[in-house]
Amino acid sequence: MESRGTEIKKIWIVDANAVTALGQNLGDTWEGLVKGATGIREIDRFCPQGYYSRLAACVEGLKPTGDRSLIHSLVEILFKGIGPVPSDAVLVTATTKMGIDNLERLRRKEAARGGDVLLSCLPEMVSQKLGLKDTGTNVSASCASSTIAITQGASLIASGLAEAVIVCCADVVTEFTFSGFCALKVVSAFPARPFDRSRSGLTLGDGAAALLMMSEERAVRDARSCIAVVRGWGASNDAFHITSPAQNGEGLVMAIGQALARAGLKQEDIFAVSAHGTGTTYNDLMEIKALRRVFGGRDIPVYSVKGSIGHTTGAAGGIEVALAAKALSVRMVPPTTGFKDPEEGAEGLVSAQTAPLAGDLCLTSNSGFGGINAAIVLERGKSI
Amino acid sequence: MIASVTGIGWVKRESMGSGRGHQKFQSKDAALPKLTSRMVFGEVSPHFGRLDEYSKLGLAAAAFALKDAMQDKWKNKRPIGIIVSTVHGCLATDIDYFETVMTFGGNLASPNLFACTLPNIFLGEAAIRFGLTGPGFAVNEPKLTGLRGLRMALSSMLIDDCLTMLVGTADPGRPESFQHDTNVTPGALFLFIEKSPADDSLSYGGLDMAPSGDILFDGAPAHSLEDIFKRISKGLTK
Repeated sequence: MESRGTEIKKIWIVDANAVTALGQNLGDTWEGLVKGATGIREIDRFCPQGYYSRLAACVEGLKPTGDRSLIHSLVEILFKGIGPVPSDAVLVTATTKMGIDNLERLRRKEAARGGDVLLSCLPEMVSQKLGLKDTGTNVSASCASSTIAITQGASLIASGLAEAVIVCCADVVTEFTFSGFCALKVVSAFPARPFDRSRSGLTLGDGAAALLMMSEERAVRDARSCIAVVRGWGASNDAFHITSPAQNGEGLVMAIGQALARAGLKQEDIFAVSAHGTGTTYNDLMEIKALRRVFGGRDIPVYSVKGSIGHTTGAAGGIEVALAAKALSVRMVPPTTGFKDPEEGAEGLVSAQTAPLAGDLCLTSNSGFGGINAAIVLERGKSI
Repeated sequence: MIASVTGIGWVKRESMGSGRGHQKFQSKDAALPKLTSRMVFGEVSPHFGRLDEYSKLGLAAAAFALKDAMQDKWKNKRPIGIIVSTVHGCLATDIDYFETVMTFGGNLASPNLFACTLPNIFLGEAAIRFGLTGPGFAVNEPKLTGLRGLRMALSSMLIDDCLTMLVGTADPGRPESFQHDTNVTPGALFLFIEKSPADDSLSYGGLDMAPSGDILFDGAPAHSLEDIFKRISKGLTK
């Protein structure tokens, strides 16, 4: 077959913001994170009575407006902290359950907009809000949704099919998701303790992030500064189990391998890993095995933000990429809040303290139900 | 040309199957067929029975497309990706699941139903059954054309991220109790596309991108995956 010989474009992240239980913008979230603060507290959004856990990391004061979903309010806060987005930017959103709180309200015979329940409502809402020509596409890939959205945005730019892509991701804690994860027995009764020997599950969290990516040429033309460079990305499926990760970590190893290959890098070029680190027994075990397979005996700093901001499901990858860009810019590895005693294999990798980030490249990864894994290699840009 | 379509599979009200082996039927109530694992795989699979209707629909069409491209048998896992576009996805299961929360209380809600409340779950089932290790995700668009998922697949192929993919649409239609109006015809359709086909004789035609951004099938703009399906079907009946 005829080959196009496509020239691969370089990808810059030129703007980023995040809203989490630690703060209503990326800066506040980062400040809380490096202090080891946690946004995990007792749920007051719905009555947690009858559940074995009462904890989540909810954005303080987040309320639905009229008949709109909570996501609508969350996205409103998110875009207060993002600069101009060119109207020709391609829109890729990520959410797992969008306005599922409105389904709850409808089933309880309360006034709620039904359309907010559809996942395609997120791109529609963001496109209108930002005045984009593109009506957008939502990506749904469980807890790797926004990581996959970033890989797809990067691919569109790299292949020359887009000059600018805005990725917007959001998910909120609802009784629907809380009860479901409780039913699966993966929620912890205590704040999540990623990679800790005594971890007992995850803590859910609200979260949203926006990342504006551009080809280097477009960013220079638009006089945008570079927060970070997306050097590589990869995605794979375990083809092993619907809700459990492949225990030898082979799917994640494959995704990381693709990301390193795309970036033209070796494992020794990476200086920190923002792990998925949910705090569940099987995820953390799988990740440590995968990271040991990739990085061998090297004690590379590995951290998880989920002890601070909870597991923000479809928004996790986007938030973690924004925070990793911040970590690179200030050359600091944030602590893993809740971590005390390393699980087997995590000795020398994970810490409850901040540490210097000794290089310009880091890796972020996420995995999710359905066997999906995704990894992104980021390079330091200029400071945010 | 970026890629060739070497397999198609579908489940519709009027017919189901694959390009090189399908059956037409006249449904009395214009409903989709009630799928069983024997109809789809020719054998009993307990996993299939546990899936919701949306997942069965999508998995069946994906399986038919793989069979059509002679990719349904395998020994080693393969880097084949899968992208499905949907509007309603698993909304009916969302509703059923939340009824268990309302009825039995949170701690007694159904974990099995909850596991099916993500639109990408059946992609994992397809990955397990057929050894597919490429990226798999669902795409949600307000109008079910499937072109946004196809554009992402072609973009990946242009830069050699993933060279072989299943790209399709799957939607069981609007659940009866969901009042929001959407204009979606229930059914599922998958294309098996390859950047470098192992067997050129299996090709139904080529996919490319016009400078305008339009997706082209055999040189003419494609308006949806359904449009591509119809053009391939026309060739099959000649």
